[in-house]
Amino acid sequence: MFRSLPFTASAFTRSYATKLNKYPRPKPGTAERPAYHAPDPLNNNPQAVVTALPENDLTFIHRPPPTAPSPHSLTTNPVSPLLRPSKSKEGVSLPPPSRPRFAREPLPRASPQTMSEIKRLRALDPGRYTCSVLAKKFSVTRGFVQSIAALKKSQRRAKRREQEAVADKARGEWSEKKTTLMLIKAKRRELW
Amino acid sequence: MVYGGVSRAVKTLRAVSASHLPVFPPTQATKSSFDPQTWGQLQPPPSTALSAFAHRIGLGAVLTDTDDILKACTHPSILSLAPSSSSQPIETNAHLSTLGNALMGLFATEYVNATYPYLPTRVLKAAVTAHVGPQSCANAALEMGAVPLLRWAPKASSSAVSWTPQTPAVQRTDALASIPRALTALVYHHRSLPSARQFVHSYFLLSRQVDVRSMIKFVDPKKALKEMVAKFGRDPPKSRLLKETGRFSNSPVFVVGIYSGEDKLGEGFGASLKMAEYRAAEASLLAVYLTRRPPDDLNLPTDTFPRGLGDIFAEDAENEGDYLPPDLPHAEVMYASGGRSGRIASEAS
Repeated sequence: MFRSLPFTASAFTRSYATKLNKYPRPKPGTAERPAYHAPDPLNNNPQAVVTALPENDLTFIHRPPPTAPSPHSLTTNPVSPLLRPSKSKEGVSLPPPSRPRFAREPLPRASPQTMSEIKRLRALDPGRYTCSVLAKKFSVTRGFVQSIAALKKSQRRAKRREQEAVADKARGEWSEKKTTLMLIKAKRRELW
Repeated sequence: MVYGGVSRAVKTLRAVSASHLPVFPPTQATKSSFDPQTWGQLQPPPSTALSAFAHRIGLGAVLTDTDDILKACTHPSILSLAPSSSSQPIETNAHLSTLGNALMGLFATEYVNATYPYLPTRVLKAAVTAHVGPQSCANAALEMGAVPLLRWAPKASSSAVSWTPQTPAVQRTDALASIPRALTALVYHHRSLPSARQFVHSYFLLSRQVDVRSMIKFVDPKKALKEMVAKFGRDPPKSRLLKETGRFSNSPVFVVGIYSGEDKLGEGFGASLKMAEYRAAEASLLAVYLTRRPPDDLNLPTDTFPRGLGDIFAEDAENEGDYLPPDLPHAEVMYASGGRSGRIASEAS
């Protein structure tokens, strides 16, 4: 089989040695990729309010800046929607949830019987019926079990001490490099 | 003027004017037990200086008696220096300072609470301290020019050794701070509670900007926001990704917005999704906490007190109905209430 010449090759047949989009080469002094032209933010913007002024043959576009809102709010004009009467805006498409976990459907509400059963089991044997075990058993979240069936202050303090001892033991076995990295991580967390 | 190597003793010295003394040097100077430094610290400033001070701070018409002003500028620690066998006991500002401190706390708390109705209680307390706390009072005294008039001593009492837990040493800041408090009490005595309030407002509340935002610290803003939204009866908050770039690179940027239903409560950016969500929750909480009431709309409870002299419990006919109590906002979320909510695991449920 003869190797087809570039200028006779059709755009959709590939040969082994050549890459079709190598030619035509960009002119010297220009970039391989085309220049980036940012889209006009006023064009087709859902936040922009367009008013036509036909007598002067003008279009007035009001688009508030998309920066984060400042916390300067007044009681007469609050920034937070929590302080304003809730109004339902039908058909507004919302951005996707930030994590796939948040896109899951919420679990069905637990019945009062389930709640009392959870409380009973947790009080019976907190070591055996931990929050995770109960959450799996009754298909609720661990935080829900924690909020409805909290342990007594003394029990919580004892458990905390045990957990701290386990964590301290683990931290003692870290190498110097790991300790440094964990401290850096903690400092970054502090600066959030 | 003493330059370089100024000793502590020299720093506490106050310039004593001899012109107002009937006899100089004083008659007890011949005795061997005479200490000129102590004598100098005990000397009152001239009455002209006290009168000038009163006029300088705008209370010339209120504080006409210079003895009152002298009393306001004398800290109780001076009694540790006073000889026990003195003919004229020195009057100090102990009672005035206590009363004035209570009044200033009252005025500052009602003002901050009225200005920021949604502020958490611990932040409100910090803001009140920033406005009328010991450091602010001491700074105000410095600005008023009360330093040469202050009479104090570093020891709490004459029997105290340098420092013990029961008798800690007196700091100059505390001694200075007692002066504006005593002045507030004097204005209350000679005029009325609204006048004392006007004094405190002009020197401490309206003329001082306090950064409330730096006092708000979050442990778990997402949890706090969840509880706050539940209290307002809205849809539970959900974080949504608005923008992102460089997800698997070494410098990603995520912009996350927290939504309650269709309303965006707050927005935050970060190098990770968790960081961006954290910041968005913080922004949502700050948007509520830092909501201010405009100064024209402020309705302070002390408006109900009558303006003139007389019985403070008397009803003021001309100002009747001026005060309109504001609506109380949703109570503060106490999510870290440590099991006091009553929802405890129990066998008998």
